[in-house]
Amino acid sequence: KIFHLGACRVSLSMTEIRAGFAAIKADIQSRDPIRTLSILSHPHSLHKVKSSDRCCIAHQLFTFYVDKVFRHCRTEDSFVNRKISSIANSFLSVTRELGHCREQNNCVCGEESTEKFKQILANYEGLNVTSAAMKSLGELDILLDWVEKSH
Amino acid sequence: DALLPAPQTISIISTNMKHFLTWSPVVVQGATVRYSVEFQGEYEREYANGSWIPASECAPTTATLCNLTDDISATVAYKLRVRAELGATRSPWATTEGFFNRAMTSLTPPLLRVMADGNHLLVELEDMGPSFQFRVLYWKKGQKSRVQQKVMKEVSSVLHLDTMEAGAEYCVKAQTHVQAINRSSSFSPTQCVRARGDASFWLT
Repeated sequence: KIFHLGACRVSLSMTEIRAGFAAIKADIQSRDPIRTLSILSHPHSLHKVKSSDRCCIAHQLFTFYVDKVFRHCRTEDSFVNRKISSIANSFLSVTRELGHCREQNNCVCGEESTEKFKQILANYEGLNVTSAAMKSLGELDILLDWVEKSH
Repeated sequence: DALLPAPQTISIISTNMKHFLTWSPVVVQGATVRYSVEFQGEYEREYANGSWIPASECAPTTATLCNLTDDISATVAYKLRVRAELGATRSPWATTEGFFNRAMTSLTPPLLRVMADGNHLLVELEDMGPSFQFRVLYWKKGQKSRVQQKVMKEVSSVLHLDTMEAGAEYCVKAQTHVQAINRSSSFSPTQCVRARGDASFWLT
């Protein structure tokens, strides 16, 4: 399906990604002991980001998951690993599309989205890497909901 | 321990978004050889130290065919490999030459059945799975310039296309579309039926 994020259009198999995540969500969230903190929503929700900033922060977020999150989520369960691989490969192709779009459309990162992404990184780096990665993966539907709502 | 040879002639067969790896058997007299299949997406190559992931249905299997449809579930380049196993002995891995991307799958036209129920033009389409949408074209015979279209996102049992003029003949053809890879099949052969007005019967 095609999603419009600010100036960018990306094709995203949302149904497949959501199905893959739904299959492992309970398992992943059970590995996240700290329920009081959110990586993506603290202190403000993603939904507060201005539409002109969406293409930039979408690219930053998908790159964040590809660069930092998935690689630290390997588990002893091969079913879970397969689903993570499927999501990670889908995120990789979206990240590429967003990257090309940002170059062509010169998606400027406004002050607000820069600040928001800094906060997400601070939340992430405030935990040990495996906990942070599992928590971020457990919050994937927050990101997917934001992408669908921003569309 | 005798060395076990790697499986030969490995290849991928992909049709309508169903992906299979096949290979020729490794024969050891009087023994049952098993095989393990693994896959590696672009993400694993570039961000996860080239790691490999065991396939969901073939780790291990005695068959010489592995259904990788659930594993190849992103539109990126994948590498696949298989090895033979006999007890604790493992053969070397046999890895696919190039890469496989599910966008390369071959798409066949859908099977359809066109029916006239009185003067209602109906079509029944084959359920090809959640990845598939259908584009159905229909027209009154002789009026090809006034083709109408319906797009079906999901296969329901029977689709009502139109109410036909009594005694007139209507024709239908369809193609599939897969959004995940943004490709469509060729069209199915055209099928025509005649509306009641006189005896309603099947014409192809």
